[in-house]
Amino acid sequence: MRKEQTSIPTSKVQRASKFLKTGAKVGGNYIKHYSKKIFDSELSRDELDADNAEDIYESLSELKGSALKVAQMLSMDKNMLPTAYQDKFTMSQYSAPPLSYPLVVKTFKKYLDKSPDQLFENFTTQAVNAASIGQVHKAELDGKELAVKIQYPGVADSISSDLKMVRPIAARMLSINTSELEQYIGEVESKLIEETDYQLELKRSIEITAECAHLEGLKFPNYYPELSSERILVMDWIDGKHIKEWLETNPSQELRNEIGQSLWDFYDHQIHNLKQVHADPHPGNFLITEDNQLGIIDFGCVKEIPLDFYEQYFQLMHSDVLNPDYDIESLFLELGFLTESDTQKEKDFFVSIFKEMIEMLGRPFRVEHFDFGDDEYFKQIFEIGDRVSKMKEIRNSKSARGNRHGLYVNRTYFGLYNLLNQLQAEIKTGSESLVLS
Amino acid sequence: MEQTTKKKVTKKVNNLPKIISSYKDYQLTEGKKPASVYHFMTKLKLKEEEFYKYFSSFEAVDNHIWEQFAQHTITSIKSEKVYGEYGAREKVLAFYYTLVEVLKKERSYVNMTFKHSKKPEFTPTHLKGFKSKFEEFTREIISEGMNSEEIVERPIISDRYQDGFWLQLLFIISFWLKDTSKDFENTDAAIEKSANLSFELLGRGPLDMIVDFGKFLYHNR
Repeated sequence: MRKEQTSIPTSKVQRASKFLKTGAKVGGNYIKHYSKKIFDSELSRDELDADNAEDIYESLSELKGSALKVAQMLSMDKNMLPTAYQDKFTMSQYSAPPLSYPLVVKTFKKYLDKSPDQLFENFTTQAVNAASIGQVHKAELDGKELAVKIQYPGVADSISSDLKMVRPIAARMLSINTSELEQYIGEVESKLIEETDYQLELKRSIEITAECAHLEGLKFPNYYPELSSERILVMDWIDGKHIKEWLETNPSQELRNEIGQSLWDFYDHQIHNLKQVHADPHPGNFLITEDNQLGIIDFGCVKEIPLDFYEQYFQLMHSDVLNPDYDIESLFLELGFLTESDTQKEKDFFVSIFKEMIEMLGRPFRVEHFDFGDDEYFKQIFEIGDRVSKMKEIRNSKSARGNRHGLYVNRTYFGLYNLLNQLQAEIKTGSESLVLS
Repeated sequence: MEQTTKKKVTKKVNNLPKIISSYKDYQLTEGKKPASVYHFMTKLKLKEEEFYKYFSSFEAVDNHIWEQFAQHTITSIKSEKVYGEYGAREKVLAFYYTLVEVLKKERSYVNMTFKHSKKPEFTPTHLKGFKSKFEEFTREIISEGMNSEEIVERPIISDRYQDGFWLQLLFIISFWLKDTSKDFENTDAAIEKSANLSFELLGRGPLDMIVDFGKFLYHNR
């Protein structure tokens, strides 16, 4: 049983003061750091980062919903965060006190005019699982096991005000300027608001699962529109193990490759053919069934990829991008990595950094097979991320150096790479992804 | 209250529902209480004395309406099949959620008549019946909660638990009246959080450890 928090800050004022407290504490940590540094020049930033991550994590963990989601997102966008932050944030996979059963009943009556025991033959009064903005109950109808997701009340309402308060903290944490942050927070905000709309999720789940039904090795639940509403979503219950539990059963390399391949193909198909992608490759959204199929749940976060962004972005993965005679500068300009106002010196500097990152991150795309079990590769990625986030040129950069659409696409790939790394899978990657129109 | 028992007096025509609904209607459209019982009853084309068969004053009508809110809520939650399986916390939650639904149907009336004094020991006359119904309900819950050990019996403050629930109820109603969220979703959140908190406090927790430790120090130093 999760430990229930004894208090949750409720009002905006309380939440705001929570954030102010964190802001002050983070500031305090810097002071501590620099005053120690006067006496000990060897002191590394690691200690400071660890202190900061702890305080930020503590305050975020007391918040429900959107603020937590932001923490989750930031933790996945590993390249933006020093190692100390990542470790803390991966813990924010979230626990909030469950909804009481009377509230569940009330939600059902409000949206479907019937209580759960009138709709289902069986319904667990306790939640069996927590989702980031709701909880899951298990139900039974006509001999079928169902998963019933119910949203916390007031989540949709609090998103914008939560994010307003996250802004200063995030700016300090990520050392990026306001204009850059604004772009990103705007993107996150619109996605979060979408996530609270279960009707939309239902529509997308049905659409995408139908479009992916032909892919091998995947298992999707059926969805039940007549039992769902804005705040309630009903689908088949999928019995299976989470990736971590599954790995504990010591599956063979072959099986791990198979699961990994299904996962890769699923994403490949969505990104390149559907141009909309399940942008939440968080381990909790995947289940491996008894007969080794990959069950995929939760289409709350779907990123639609605009065509022009798609074309620019995947040009980066072309093999010839790294050739010395390729006009990479104009591509970077289009993607917003460089701006017209950059001096030649800045241009040279950023081109070299981004080239290095693209070489690293695009590596799986430039070969036929890629071994995601190669930990050395991941260490290098983190190493670059760490190094880049500490460069003062990056910290002081006044322009955004990125594209808002890239946020969720990058997140998707980071998540995917991580899952494949966990699976230690070798993947056939050089497929349709490079055949661009 | 006596007024409600009096209404049972044999009467061929039951004017009670008519009086109540016209009274509510009058207040809501005029924005004030009728000038006098006489004036009010004339408009209904009834004799003034007819009014006194049911109520002694307008206050008593309000009292009756509020009492019905509570009665309605209690009957409705007790008729739920799952109610029997609920613990004390869930029962209280069910009461709050249902009450808000009941009040929602007459929000304008509630808004007009819900006034509570800053001093908890003073309850406006027209909320007295409502309060006593609620207290009857919470007494039941508290003794049940103590049996199931969801609620801890503590010297002196145990007797004040009642008042705590009443204050909580007043808080919830005022929160709801000020709530601007869609379908009053924030009120649901407020109910959930405040009831959870109060049951955390009512159960055995750090509070008891502090008192216990304090006692120990007092006796041993």
